[in-house]
Amino acid sequence: MTARELVEILDGEIISGESRLDEEVQSIGAGDMMSDILALAKPGMVVLTAHTSPQSVRTGMVTELLGLVVVQNKNIPPATIELARQNDFLLIRTKGFMFSTCGKLYTAGFKGIDG
Amino acid sequence: MAEAKNLQKYVDIFRDLTAADIMTRNPVTLTPDKKVARAKEMMKIKKISGIPIVNSDQFLVGIISIEDIIKALEYGRINETLETVMTRDVVTLHPEENLPAIVDKFSTYKLGRFPVVDGDGRLRGIIAREDILHGILEKFNLIYIHDTKRNTKLDQEFSLITGERLRVDEAEFHYNIDNSDITSAGTGAALLKQFLKKKGIDHEIARRVGIATYEAETNVVIHSCSKGDIYCFLKPDRIIVRVTDSGIGIEDLDKAMTEGFSTASDYVREFGFGAGMGIPNMNRFADKLVILSEKKVGTQVEIVFFLPAVSWNPGNPSP
Repeated sequence: MTARELVEILDGEIISGESRLDEEVQSIGAGDMMSDILALAKPGMVVLTAHTSPQSVRTGMVTELLGLVVVQNKNIPPATIELARQNDFLLIRTKGFMFSTCGKLYTAGFKGIDG
Repeated sequence: MAEAKNLQKYVDIFRDLTAADIMTRNPVTLTPDKKVARAKEMMKIKKISGIPIVNSDQFLVGIISIEDIIKALEYGRINETLETVMTRDVVTLHPEENLPAIVDKFSTYKLGRFPVVDGDGRLRGIIAREDILHGILEKFNLIYIHDTKRNTKLDQEFSLITGERLRVDEAEFHYNIDNSDITSAGTGAALLKQFLKKKGIDHEIARRVGIATYEAETNVVIHSCSKGDIYCFLKPDRIIVRVTDSGIGIEDLDKAMTEGFSTASDYVREFGFGAGMGIPNMNRFADKLVILSEKKVGTQVEIVFFLPAVSWNPGNPSP
């Protein structure tokens, strides 16, 4: 499934990386600790997070995530948005909380790295 | 036994090591029709204490140990075939079994070695007790020098791993780490990754370099209380990354190596750091890693990534 389908399911707001919406989502993960993301991320993965500092985007770039979904409609600092836009990094925001967002995507058929 | 105690300490850190990583590939084997005397000679020549017995298709059918040979000598059976003397009920390891499972097997069975056998029953290798420590040291080459020698070793011009000369002014990539702004952490690693991709470095290797360097850089920003530097040296067969600072040093490297252990402040945790995965992550993505640290002098991390021609690939035997 593509990132575009993911955005539709979550009724998400596309903050940056519009050009990447047709890319295939390889897997989905969730986490707020940068090191966990660094350890477990796979290329083409989308990570759900409540973490909005520029580190989240930088971590995503280094690990080659397809993008990030910020949950809980969190306020995203301008520095984070700017870094994402500069690098055409997919950044999506949803009103859903972490648990329900994970649930919606899992039900829709997206898989985590452990199945 | 001191060795066993040390081993236990590292089992968790190196839990991702599998039997396939540690085992000796292409071990000495014999077929069941050979004489016991032949096994005795081979053990003497090769200085080994056990030989797996395989049939012509490499299926494991038994094992013979020094103990079996001593018994055979005692009962005058040295000229009989291995088939009559070998142990048939062999305890084996699967190539995918991880380090804790391997160590567990050694302590449960009190045997000196385990053949590694795949799902079909074919012999893939053998692990002797000493291979475990050897495997840990060889594959990761993690050295921690905890004495005053480190003082003089820091800021040296030579590679901590290979001993070759590495002049920082000849590094292909350099980045100044600014510890005053936590939101900048990771910038150097991202730039290094871009640089490597431009140089045509394999995508997956550039990604691994990026991740390991990100962790090292973040450690300087959040822990060292000093500025630091990232240097990268490109060699034909490998990439060497050196991250240095002149900060407070690592208090207890054993703890720092433990997943989940962190000394990070709440402020730092707000930025998503302090998961206690920094050094374990570096280790996970590096081919070789050395950390030198001296309290109040600084820390120097050297990470080596092998390029494909000589890259160590668990799926294939090393060239």
